[in-house]
Order: sequence, then C-alpha cells, then structure tokens
Amino acid sequence: MKTRVVGIIGLLAVIAAVVFGLFVVPPDVNQGDAQRIMYVHVASAWLAYLSFGVTALAGMLYLWKRDLRFDAVALSAAEVGVMFTAFAIWGGMMWAKPVWGTFWQWEDPRLTTTALLLALYVGYLLLRHLTDDPARRATRAAIVGLVAAIDIPIVHFSVVWWRGLHQTATFADPTKILHPSAPLPFVIALVGMLSALTVVWAYLMIRRYQLARIEWQIEEHGRLGRITAAQRAAVASSAIPAIPAAPAATAIDGRVEGAGL
Amino acid sequence: MTNLAFIIAGYGVILGGLAIYAITLVRRLRNARADSLRIRRDAEAVADVGGDRRA
Amino acid sequence: MTTLARNASIALAIARKDALAELRGKHATTSTLFFAAVVLLLFGFALGPDTRKLTEAAPGLLWLAIVFAGLLAVGRLHIVETDDGALEQLALYPIDRRAIYAGKAISGLAAMLVLGAVLLPVVAILYGIDLAGAWPALVATLLLGCTGFAAVGTFYAGVTVRMRAREVMLPLLMLPVIAPLLLAAVKATTAALAGDPFSELPAWLQLLAGYDIVMLIAGAGTYGFLLEE
Repeated sequence: MKTRVVGIIGLLAVIAAVVFGLFVVPPDVNQGDAQRIMYVHVASAWLAYLSFGVTALAGMLYLWKRDLRFDAVALSAAEVGVMFTAFAIWGGMMWAKPVWGTFWQWEDPRLTTTALLLALYVGYLLLRHLTDDPARRATRAAIVGLVAAIDIPIVHFSVVWWRGLHQTATFADPTKILHPSAPLPFVIALVGMLSALTVVWAYLMIRRYQLARIEWQIEEHGRLGRITAAQRAAVASSAIPAIPAAPAATAIDGRVEGAGL
Repeated sequence: MTNLAFIIAGYGVILGGLAIYAITLVRRLRNARADSLRIRRDAEAVADVGGDRRA
Repeated sequence: MTTLARNASIALAIARKDALAELRGKHATTSTLFFAAVVLLLFGFALGPDTRKLTEAAPGLLWLAIVFAGLLAVGRLHIVETDDGALEQLALYPIDRRAIYAGKAISGLAAMLVLGAVLLPVVAILYGIDLAGAWPALVATLLLGCTGFAAVGTFYAGVTVRMRAREVMLPLLMLPVIAPLLLAAVKATTAALAGDPFSELPAWLQLLAGYDIVMLIAGAGTYGFLLEE
C-alpha cells in the first residue's frame, strides 16, 4: 500500500510539473514554445542513465551475492530504462524538428549515443527473454549489463571526437536550455519535471520488481509441477521403483522453500 | 503557442506511454498475485487432504 | 611471473588448437572469406557504378565487410567448441579462466587478421584505391581494430553460444558495442589512405588502443562467469 502512495505523489507531481512547464513558464526567446519539450526530454534522458547505472550496479551485486533479488532489480531498471531512452529520443526528435529543422542530427553526440544505448539495452532485454534458467539468465544478464555500461562512456567519447577532433560538444548542452535572462522559471520547470518523473520512475521500479519476484515464483512452481508430474508418470508407467527420482525430488523441494512460495 | 503539434506529440507520447506502462504493470501484478494466491491455496488443500488421511 | 608464463602457454595452446581445427576444416575459412568478398561486391552494386563514390566510401565498406564476416568467424569459433561439448571439458580443467578467454581471443584475432589481409587488396582493386605509402598506418589500424573486435566478439560469442536464436543474438548484442571501434577504425583508415592531412591518425589509433585494453580487461574479467554455468 505504501507503493500506492508513491504512485499518487508521482502522478500529482507530474500533473503539476506539466501544467507549470506548459502554461506558467514563458516561452524561450530563441526556441519559442518548442523549448517546453526539453523539460520532459532532459528528464527522460536523466532517468535512462540512472536506470542503466542501477542495472549495472545490481548486476555486479548479483555476481557478488548470488541473490536473485538483485537480478530482479537489474531487470526492472533495464526495462524502465529502455522505455525512458525511447522517450528521450522521441522528445529529442520532437524538439529538434522545429529548432534544428531535422528530426535526426548525426552531429549531435548525445542523440547518437542515446540511440546506441537503446540498441544495447533492447539486446539486454532480449537476452533475458531468451534464457530460461533463472541463475544462468541472471549471470549472463549481469555481465552483459556490465560490459554495456563500460561501453557507454567510450561510445560517447568516440562520437564527440567523430564530429571533429578539436571541437567541444556544446550542441545540446543542458545549461544552454536555460535562458540566461530569465533563469529562475526555467530552472524550476526543469528541476520540477526531473523530480516529478523521478518519483514516477521509483514507483515503476517498485512495481516492476514486485511483478518480477511474483512471476518468478509462479514460473518456479510451474517448473516443479512439470518435474513432479513427469516423475509420477515415469513411476506409474514403468515397474522401476521411484528410488532414482527420490533424491532429486527432495533437492528440489528444498529449493521451493528457498523461493518462499 | 507555437509548434503546438510537436509539443502535443512530445508530451503526449511520453506521458501516455508512462500511463500505459504503469496501468499494464499494475494489472499484470494483480493477475500474478491472484495466481500466486490460488497456487498457495491449492497447495494447502493438498496438504490438508494428506493430514486428514493420516488422521 | 610463472603463473603469467603458464597462462600464456595455455592461451597459446588453445589458440593453436583452434587454428589447427580451422585449417583441417578448410571450407569454413574459405566460405567466410568468400562471404566477405561477395559483400564487398554487393556494396559496389549498391553504390556504383560511379567509382568516385565507392572510393570515398571504401574505408567504411571495408570495415563493414570485416565486421559482418568477423561476426561469422568469432561465432563459429565458439559454436564448434560447444556443439561437441569441448568447452565444458575445458572448463573442468583447473586453469585460469582468463587464459581460456585469451586463447579464444587470440584465435579470433588470427581469423580476423586473415580476413583483413585478404579484404584489403580486394577493396583496393574493386573500389580503385592506391594502397602504396599507407601500409604502416593501415597495418596498425587493422591490428588494433581486429584485436578489439576479437576481444568483444569472444565475450559475446561465449554469452550467446548456448542460447536460443544465437545467430541473431550475437550480432544484435555485439554490433552496438563495437560502434566506437567501427567509427575509429574507419576514421583511421580514411586518414591513412589520404596521407593523414589533418594529422588525426594518432588520435584514432589511441582511441582504438584504449578500446582494446578496456574490452580485453572486461572480457577477461567476466568470461569466467560463463564457464561456471
């Protein structure tokens, strides 16, 4: 029930931040009203990076402690992170078309890095999806998430170099979003949206984690059900006594209690 | 407001996407909890039958 | 120092075994090379017949062909090994997992270098490029680029080899990770072919070297977890 409180706070905060960002803050002198998209775009990008940081950290903790709860955190963060990455790209495109004149700007290192980020973590989720054994899935996901996280700074660095070795990346600098002559309302709108969406992120993370835990328990139960059914069938159909199956059954029963069903 | 179409598209997709994801999550969670409860009840029922037989 | 020497000899033994297996089943190497050559030919159809356009795009096309064929090469190095259970056997030996990783990476690098050595002249002929004078820079680029590819490829081939849909998952997982490598290798090749007018070649080679080191450390550090499964 506490989770619901987080959700309600997040919802109210987002409504307030959207109303403020869309109707209270004056339009930007250079970018006009299109600049309002920046509030959701920057917040999404921040949450995407936060999510993937959490995925890498939870993966490392899994490799250390071998506790599947860390893997559930990694999964939740990756899924929520992929969603926010897609939102960041979408918001960026909706902002870029009116301001730069194109949806896609190859010269912007942030945009190209984010696109690769999306590909990296969609791959991470597919890898999870295609591996059935929980421990194997968690291990593979943890190391792939780790290598992906190591790759992100290199990608960004190389793309910055790519547009010109001696130029610095100022194209979509977040500090440039805020207009110097009227800083305060812009700062409030951006920080407000950031905080509001971060609360929503926390809510989604908790819900996704709860779902993962309970779904894995059901999965485990189904696996055990199939194993015991197969054993029963084998015992019933043949005259061979159940002795060979018995040790396996006790070992698996031990794991049921471990899973906390 | 200028560039209204882009602003609506930007905010609409992001906020709408978040809402759909949140609703889907809550719904899946409710179904999963119901399933889990049913499984536990079934298991308890089986255990009870076993106990009766022993008694 | 002795453990390092021991690990190095283990790694070389694994690499030699892979190379021998490749040489005995010659058709695999030949078909990968032929595949890459056909890719280069098709790029010609896609962008030609204007040779100037092809010459301009040649570094990018060369590296794309190396990447596509390299995916097949590193994937097969693991597939051959797991399909007959040899990797499980190898994992049972009380040897450093980093040595196993290094061995597989060395054989991957060897395969990639053969690939690069054959494709470079093919690109020169098909796309009308003059290689004379650019040799040292090209060899350095090829060496660093292939090392990085083998480092990453060995890791991802190990991850995907026992998975469903491994043929799709290897490129899907690996291509975004090698994006910086592709970018730097293409830039370095372009600079090398043009005689490095803006003297940016060292910077790109440094980026490649840095990428190689980071990915080799990451691969060596995590590959052992795959063998525990």
